[in-house]
Amino acid sequence: MQLSVNGQSRDLELDNRTTLLDALREHLGLIGSKKGCDHGQCGACTVLLDGRRTNACLVLAVTCAGREVATIEGLAGPDGLHPVQQAFVEHDGFQCGYCTPGQIMSAVGMLEEFERGWPSAVTGEVQPAGLTAPEIRERMSGNLCRCGAYVGILAALTDVASRS
Amino acid sequence: MTAITTRAVGSSPTRIEGTAKVTGAARYSTEQDHLGDVAYLWPVPATIAKGRVEAVDSDAVAGLPGVLAVLTPDNAPRLETPDDAELAVLQDHEVSYRGQFVAAVVATSLETAREAAASLHITYAEVPHDSELTENHPKLSKPEKVNPAFPTDTEDGDVDAALAAAAVTVDATYRTPPVHNNPMEPHASLAVWLGHELTLYDSLQGAFAAQQALAKLFALPPASVHVINEHVGGGFGSKGTVRLGAVLAAMAAREVGRPVKVVLGRQHMFTVVGYRTPTIQRVRLGADADGQLTAIEHAAIEQTSTVLEFAEQTTVATRIMYAAGSRRTSHRLAALDVPTPRWMRAPGECPGMFALESAMDELAVATGVDPVEIRIRNEPDVEPESGKPFSSRNLVACLREGAERFGWAARDPRPGVRRDGRWLVGTGVAASTYPSYVGPSTASAAAEPGGGFVVRISAADIGTGARTVLTQIAADALRVRVEEVRVEIGDSSFGQAALAGGSMGTASWGWAVTRAGERLRAALDEHGGDGRLEVHVDTAEEVKARTGFAYHAFGAQYAEARVDLDTGEVRVPRLLGVFGVGRIVNPRTARSQLIGGMTMGLSMALHEEGVLDPAFGDYVNHDFAGYHVAAAADVADIDAVWVDEQDEHVNPLGVKGIGEIGIVGTAAAVANAVFHATGVRVRDLPIRLDKLLGGLPG
Amino acid sequence: MDFLQPSTMAEALAAKAEHPGAVPIAGGTDVMVEMNFDKHRPPALLDVTRVSELTEWGMDDGRVRLGAGVSYTRIIDELGDRLPGLAMASRTVGSPQIRNRGTVGGNLGAASPAGDAHPALLAADAEIELQSTAGTRVVKAHEFYLGVKRNAARRDELITAIVLTPPSGPQQFCKIGTRNAMVISVAAFGLALHPDRRVVRTGIGSVAPTPRRAYAAEEFLAAELESAGLWESRAELPTALAREFGEKVKAAGAPIDDVRGTAAYRLHSLAVMARRAVTWAWTDYRTARGT
Repeated sequence: MQLSVNGQSRDLELDNRTTLLDALREHLGLIGSKKGCDHGQCGACTVLLDGRRTNACLVLAVTCAGREVATIEGLAGPDGLHPVQQAFVEHDGFQCGYCTPGQIMSAVGMLEEFERGWPSAVTGEVQPAGLTAPEIRERMSGNLCRCGAYVGILAALTDVASRS
Repeated sequence: MTAITTRAVGSSPTRIEGTAKVTGAARYSTEQDHLGDVAYLWPVPATIAKGRVEAVDSDAVAGLPGVLAVLTPDNAPRLETPDDAELAVLQDHEVSYRGQFVAAVVATSLETAREAAASLHITYAEVPHDSELTENHPKLSKPEKVNPAFPTDTEDGDVDAALAAAAVTVDATYRTPPVHNNPMEPHASLAVWLGHELTLYDSLQGAFAAQQALAKLFALPPASVHVINEHVGGGFGSKGTVRLGAVLAAMAAREVGRPVKVVLGRQHMFTVVGYRTPTIQRVRLGADADGQLTAIEHAAIEQTSTVLEFAEQTTVATRIMYAAGSRRTSHRLAALDVPTPRWMRAPGECPGMFALESAMDELAVATGVDPVEIRIRNEPDVEPESGKPFSSRNLVACLREGAERFGWAARDPRPGVRRDGRWLVGTGVAASTYPSYVGPSTASAAAEPGGGFVVRISAADIGTGARTVLTQIAADALRVRVEEVRVEIGDSSFGQAALAGGSMGTASWGWAVTRAGERLRAALDEHGGDGRLEVHVDTAEEVKARTGFAYHAFGAQYAEARVDLDTGEVRVPRLLGVFGVGRIVNPRTARSQLIGGMTMGLSMALHEEGVLDPAFGDYVNHDFAGYHVAAAADVADIDAVWVDEQDEHVNPLGVKGIGEIGIVGTAAAVANAVFHATGVRVRDLPIRLDKLLGGLPG
Repeated sequence: MDFLQPSTMAEALAAKAEHPGAVPIAGGTDVMVEMNFDKHRPPALLDVTRVSELTEWGMDDGRVRLGAGVSYTRIIDELGDRLPGLAMASRTVGSPQIRNRGTVGGNLGAASPAGDAHPALLAADAEIELQSTAGTRVVKAHEFYLGVKRNAARRDELITAIVLTPPSGPQQFCKIGTRNAMVISVAAFGLALHPDRRVVRTGIGSVAPTPRRAYAAEEFLAAELESAGLWESRAELPTALAREFGEKVKAAGAPIDDVRGTAAYRLHSLAVMARRAVTWAWTDYRTARGT
C-alpha cells in the first residue's frame, strides 16, 4: 500500500493487523511517534491524520491509504523549530521527553481546533477570544505526562497562543 | 572539602537534548535503525495466581508463519542464578503471581508474535492463593533489614510510658494503596549478539549495573556485555536495575540468531516491573498541651512477593524528622502471592511521610497549635536517632518561607467553614524529606583533537536533566564555557557509576565529573595544550570518606483544596513547595523536577490506586483508563522554589538530590487541606469522592 | 483476520451478510482497544469509513439523520444547536484525539453502560436505524440496550444511523468521574424537556447493567409541571421538586461497586446530577434559551 507521511508517499507492504503507529515506528523508521499504552489512553502516539489529531495506535494502517499523515518528524521547517517545539524547549515543557512528540502534535492540532472555534468541555456559551489556562488544560488532557511537566507545557502553549 | 568556583553551575541553559526530543530525533532504547532484520518477542503472562505450569502446547503456534521460537520453562536456555530472583525468567515451572511471564513467542513481526502468544495454550496446576494484605495477616514477619540496609525496628526511650503520660495523643491508622510507576516509555530492550558479545539497548536507569547483572546471568566476562541507554523515557525506580525484558531479549536473540526487541505492553507494566507496596501504618503521637512531642511510634505493615523479599523502609523518615522524648519504629512484611513490589520514587519516605505528616496535622488539630508552628516546635538540634549533626537542615526556613508565600498567616484553623459557592475551601501543610545519598562513580575527561572537551560517564538521563547539569559541572571544573564541553552518558563502557536512583545522580556523577575536569585542567595547565590528554577518575575513596554528619534534604509543601459540597469532587487549585536542597545546578530543570515530583504526589493523593481483586490475585485496573494518573486538567497552579542552602559537608558540589523529595509530603498536604476544607480526615489514599461524602457539612 | 473495505452501503451490507462475525470499525476507538488488549480478535473487520451514508448527517422530514460514523468532534462543531444534549455529552467523551475519531455508532455497537452518548440519546428519544440486506428497521433507544455490552442489532445488521428530533426544549448532560478529563464516568445523566409534548425524558449511565431511562422520575416531573401549570407560567421550579426529581432518578439506578466508585456513591451522585440538571434546564426554559 501507499502511505503519505509528511508530504512524502511511501510504499509499504503491511499486515492488515498493523496499526498506523507500528507502521510508522517499525516499518518506516519514524520513531518520533511513541507507544505509551497502545490503547488510546495516553496520547504519546498522537499524529495528525488529514489534519486532525489522532491516536495512531487506534488506527489500522490499511485504512490510511489516500490520507495524509503528519508526524513530529515533519514539523520543523527549513528555518528551524516550529514555534510549539521552540516553546517546549524554552519553557522546559518536558523531562524524559517520551510523551513530548505526542504532546507537541496534539498542541499543534489543538491550536488549529481553537482557531476554528471548536468548543471544549470547559467552553461556555461564548468561546473566549484567546486560549485561557483552563481551555489549554482541558484541550491537552488527551496527552499524559508521567514526569509531571504539565506546568511547563501550559507555560509553553500560553506563550505560543499569545504570540499567534 | 574545598569549595569550587561556579560559573555555569547556577545558570539555566535549556536541555542539551532538547531539540532532539522535540523533533522526535532522540532514539530511546529499542529505537535503533541500523540492525537489519529484528525479531519481536511477546510474553505470555500466567493466568493463575499460584501453582505450576504443567504443559505449554508450543506445537500449535510454533508452525505459524513468522513464528521463530516459543520459549517455555521446558526449553528456555538455562541461566546462572541471579541475585535478583525476578530475573530467573522461564527457569522453572512455578507460578508465583498472576501475570508472571510463563512463556514467550518470538516472531518476525510484532503482530504475529502477539497473536501467537495470545493463542498459546498453557495448562496449569493451580493451588489456592493468598494475595490480600491485612493488618493481622498470619504471614506477617520481621524482615532482617529494610531497603536498602536500614534496621527493621528501632526504639529509643520509653514510648509506652510517654504515651500514657501525654497530655494529648493521636492514634491513627493510615493506608496507602499499591501504586504503579508507569513511566511513559514502557520497559524496552533490544538485544544483539555478535559471537559471544552481547549488546543491549535498554531503557534502564543504570547501564553499568545492568552490564554486571547480565554478565553474571549469561556467564560472560563483563567486558563482553555492552549496555546502552542514551535516552530513557522515565523510570521512577522501576528501571533502576535490570528487568526481565532484557533477559528475555538476550535469551531470545541468541536462540533465533538475530536481534530481538522486547517492548512491554502497558498491562505488563502493572505486574512484572515492580510497584509501590501497599502499606498499613499505625502512628501514635504523644505530646504536651503545647504540642511538644514526647513520643512517636510508627509501625508499618507492607507486602512482598514469594519470589523475592523487598521490604520497603516506610518508617525511616520518622527516625529523623522530629525531636521527641521517645521513639519507636518498625516494619512487618507479608510474603503474598502478588507481583513483587520494588522501588518507586521515594520508596519509604513517600508513603511513610503521608502517615507521619497526616498525624502531625491531627496533633495540631488536637492541641490547637498551628500546623506550621507545631512542626517548628519539634525541630531537632541533631538527627534524633543517631545524634549526628545535620550537614544542613532548613525545614524551618522552608516552612516559614512557604507560609509567607502561600498567605498562611490569615488562616482560620476551623475545618469545614469556608465556602465559595458550592465549593468547600481549605489549606494544608506537610513537611518533605529525602536522604542525600551519594555513590562512587568513575568518569573520564579528554581534550579533543579539534578543540573542546569530552567527558564520559555511565550516567543516565531519565528526564532529570543529567546530561545538561553534568555539562555545566564539567565546564566549571575545566574552567571553560559549556559550549566547549560534550558530555557523553548512557553507556556501560564508560565504567562504573551510580545509577539514576536514590536522588543521587547529580551528587555522585557530579563529584566524579568535577574531579575529572579538575584533573584534566591541571594536566593541561602543566603540559600545555596537547590534544591527546585523557584522564580517568574514581571517587570511591573520597565517597567512603564522607562521614560524621546526617545528610538529608528537607522541604515544606502547602496545598489548597476545594471540595464540591454535593459530590465530593476534589480540586487542588494551588500547590507550593519550598525546599532546602543544597546548591541548585540548573534552576530551570530543577524547578521542573521538583514540580514533577509534586505533580506525581498530587496524582497519588487523588487518583492512583492499583485495585487488587483478591479472587484473582490481579490488579484489575491495569491500564491508563482504569488506573488514573493526573492529566493536564487535574494540575492547576503548582510551583516549587528553594531557600538558599550552602552545605559544605554533603559533597564537593554542595548539591542534594531533588528527584524524589518533591513527591514526599504532597499527599499529606493535600489530605490535610481536604480536612481543613471539609472536616473529613481521609486516612486511606487516594482521596476519592466516595470517601468524603458521608462527612460533608450539609 | 480478514479486512473488508466496502465503499458503498450496498457493499457494506453484503459484506456483513456474508461475514456476520465481522466487526464494523469506524474510528477504532472501541474495537482497536479490544484488539490491542489481545482480548478479542474478530475473524474479520469491516471498515465502514468509506461509506458516505454512514459518515454524513442530514435533515430528513424535520429530523436529524446522523450517520453512525460521524465523529464526536463533528457533532460538537456542527450539531450543537440541533442536538444540544448529545453535543454536550460528546464534549466529555475520552480525549480530543478520541473525539476526532470516535462515533456514536461505535458507542452503540459497544453498548457499554458507561458510554457517554447513551444518556443523551435516551433523553432525546433517539431512534437507532439498523440495516441489513433484508431491509431497514428502526429501534427506539430505550429498547436498544439489552444487557451488559449487548444490543438489539442482529449479526447481519449494521448500525447505520441515529435519528433524532431537534429539541422543543432544553437539554442537559452531566457526568462525574474521578479525574477532570479523559475519564470513564462514575455516573452520568442526560435530561431533555419536551414542552411540545409536555414530556420529560432522562437517560442514566454507569448506574445499571445498561443505559436506561428513569421512567418514574420522568412521569413524576411531567405530572408536577402539568398540575402546577409550570409549562405555561414558566415560573420558578420549586427547589423541593428538583430535589424529589433527583431522588426519583436515583431510584432508577441499580449500580455495582467497582474500581471507579461505590454503588452508594453512584446513586448519590445521580441524585445530585439530576437535581442540578433539571434546575439548569428549567432556567434555560424560563429564559427561553432552550426552546
